[in-house]
Amino acid sequence: MGKTVIEVNDVTMRFRMNNDRIMSLKEFVTTAIRGKLEYNEFTALDHVSFTVEQGQTLGLIGRNGAGKSTMLKVISGILKPTEGTVRTEGNIVPMLELGSGFDFDLTGRENIFLNGSILGYSEAFLKEQYERILEFSELGQFIDTPIRNYSSGMLARLAFSVASMVEPEILIVDEILSVGDAAFQEKSRARMLELMGGGTTVLFVSHSMEQIREMCDKVIWLEQGHVKMAGPTDEVCGAYVL
Amino acid sequence: MEKRQSTEIDLKRTIITAILGYVCLVVLFYVLAGHQLHFRASRGNLEIPPAEAGTVELAQGAVVEQSFSVKIQRLQSISVQWGTYYRPNSGTVTMELVDQRDGSIVMSQSFDAAAIPEGGFTTMTTEESIETVYGVPLLLRLYADSQPGSAASPLMCLTVSEQDDAVPFTLMLNGEPTEGVLCFSVTGEDYIWTGLHYWEFAAAFGAVLALAAVLIWRRYKKGKRSYVVNALVAMRKYRFLIRQLVGRDFKTKYKRSVLGVFWSFLNPLLTMAVQYVVFSNLFRFDVPYYPAYLIIGIVFFNFFSEATNMALSSIIGNAGLITKVYVPKYIYPLTRVLSSLVNLVISLIPLLLVTVVSGIVPTKAYLLVPFSLLCLTVFSLGIGLLLSALMVFFRDVQFLWGVLSMIWMYLTPIFYPASILPKNIAWVLDVNPLYYFITFARTCFMDGISPEPIMYVQCFLMAMGALLVGALVFRKAQDRFVLYL
Repeated sequence: MGKTVIEVNDVTMRFRMNNDRIMSLKEFVTTAIRGKLEYNEFTALDHVSFTVEQGQTLGLIGRNGAGKSTMLKVISGILKPTEGTVRTEGNIVPMLELGSGFDFDLTGRENIFLNGSILGYSEAFLKEQYERILEFSELGQFIDTPIRNYSSGMLARLAFSVASMVEPEILIVDEILSVGDAAFQEKSRARMLELMGGGTTVLFVSHSMEQIREMCDKVIWLEQGHVKMAGPTDEVCGAYVL
Repeated sequence: MEKRQSTEIDLKRTIITAILGYVCLVVLFYVLAGHQLHFRASRGNLEIPPAEAGTVELAQGAVVEQSFSVKIQRLQSISVQWGTYYRPNSGTVTMELVDQRDGSIVMSQSFDAAAIPEGGFTTMTTEESIETVYGVPLLLRLYADSQPGSAASPLMCLTVSEQDDAVPFTLMLNGEPTEGVLCFSVTGEDYIWTGLHYWEFAAAFGAVLALAAVLIWRRYKKGKRSYVVNALVAMRKYRFLIRQLVGRDFKTKYKRSVLGVFWSFLNPLLTMAVQYVVFSNLFRFDVPYYPAYLIIGIVFFNFFSEATNMALSSIIGNAGLITKVYVPKYIYPLTRVLSSLVNLVISLIPLLLVTVVSGIVPTKAYLLVPFSLLCLTVFSLGIGLLLSALMVFFRDVQFLWGVLSMIWMYLTPIFYPASILPKNIAWVLDVNPLYYFITFARTCFMDGISPEPIMYVQCFLMAMGALLVGALVFRKAQDRFVLYL
């Protein structure tokens, strides 16, 4: 067992939801004057605690709205928890959705560097990894074309290649293993398994029990913000299906 | 090789560089600011009153004497306005400045009466400024050796404005006290107290800096973090990211245009050309070097407008990233302002071009312009931070800002001289930071001299004030951005 790289400590995340989503100043002022500014509290995460050790792959399962994505955002520092603390060690790299973090007017090559810098890597490191990323993505000569001309499969390949080839300490995967054609899907699955074997900690959200069973060492089942069940994959998956 | 962007900093080197940099700046500034650091146009300068009548025909034997006193620390010149009766005159006229305490002649100069045009001036200047006449009762005596019929006459103003000086102004015509005041002006300079003590100030501030450096160093050694160290770490950590983002903004801006980056300097030139044609024909503002005057205003205001507008949408525009990857959120408005800064620097080329073509001779004061650019950038960053944070919560801000910045543009003397503003709204200029930055640059470019030291302080404080407000609002709001994106 390795050292703990993610420690989620009694985290509660509450959102203040407006009765109506007020987006204009005029509306805001008029409702404020009428004294009708009411908020509904919504608890997305309720006193959640767990730890992940280095090299583990943790699966998060649960129904829609159970708080899985919120949990990932809290861990990666995008959301600040209302209560509790999160401690992480190492670079957290989210597998970005199609397009976010890319600029469509730039070429694939420029986007690799842009994306790499957003993920916190140094210039020297990216230059060294560039060839490997290019090779893995199979984009070939298209790498110097603006990516607005890419097909969605090409975009996904580029995104996956950047996120997986930089060898992050912690990788966050939110439902994207269906990338590219069948051959590339197979290749990316192999790459994921390789990363996991190589000491990368992976947080994995999926609705596919098949993928969860294949990839994860440990699974946490969230339901309405609570940890319903946590433990080894087989145990939790077995209970979840029921 | 560092895989991740390094957070190691060499604090010792940074501190030494900072201190050496400070010393260099202090010396450089001393050289560049030169004369303007020590002296400014005296607040006690006497303006010429409007000419309403002639005094006496200043033929041989006639004498005009005006007693007065001025609060000028370094008196430099005295002018008198003349009437000629619209005829050619001859002989010489003499101006004498007498110290009334002991009757000694302080200055004296003679002029050829034939060279004086109707309503013209004779100006007596000293080579060495006179520093002994501050508040002293003085007498300006005029006499001539002309023949009657070919003698000029000094002009006078009949209405005497209220005098609160200890020494009353009296006009004596051939020994007779007369109601009124001679049409004369007195100019000189005053010492600037801060300029006189420049080295003391520089040393004191340096000592404060050194003390701060020592404290930071000791905290750092103990392993504690301070604001400065955190800022340095962040700068090092996010340097590459900032460069990438600025590069992206810059590359995509002109990516699909034929002239590309060339637009960055065509733009201000074309705007200037249009406004020049419009305003020099339609309104005929009397501004020397009008093209240069225009383009400085245009370049500065365009930067402000572009930077704030880009920063405004920086948070909502990067929503996809902000909800996915943790990056300090101030990076986004910051990079937008920086990429506008790149544009600004490029547009300095047409600016310099126009000043040279206008016939302005470059001086060392040009090197002081970066100070105003820096203040302008910091100011724009402050406003940008504020707007980008507000924009997340109220999307109306973008439309509001469109109108506000237009009002702001018209209230800033970009294409008109500040003097045409009516008295009752002239106060707007005093509270308009952009006016200060632009005036600063215009003084450097067009007058070729450094602005008064107080201008530096005003520009700096306004920039820092805006940054402080912007940063505080941004910091308080940033945790809630994600919820509203």
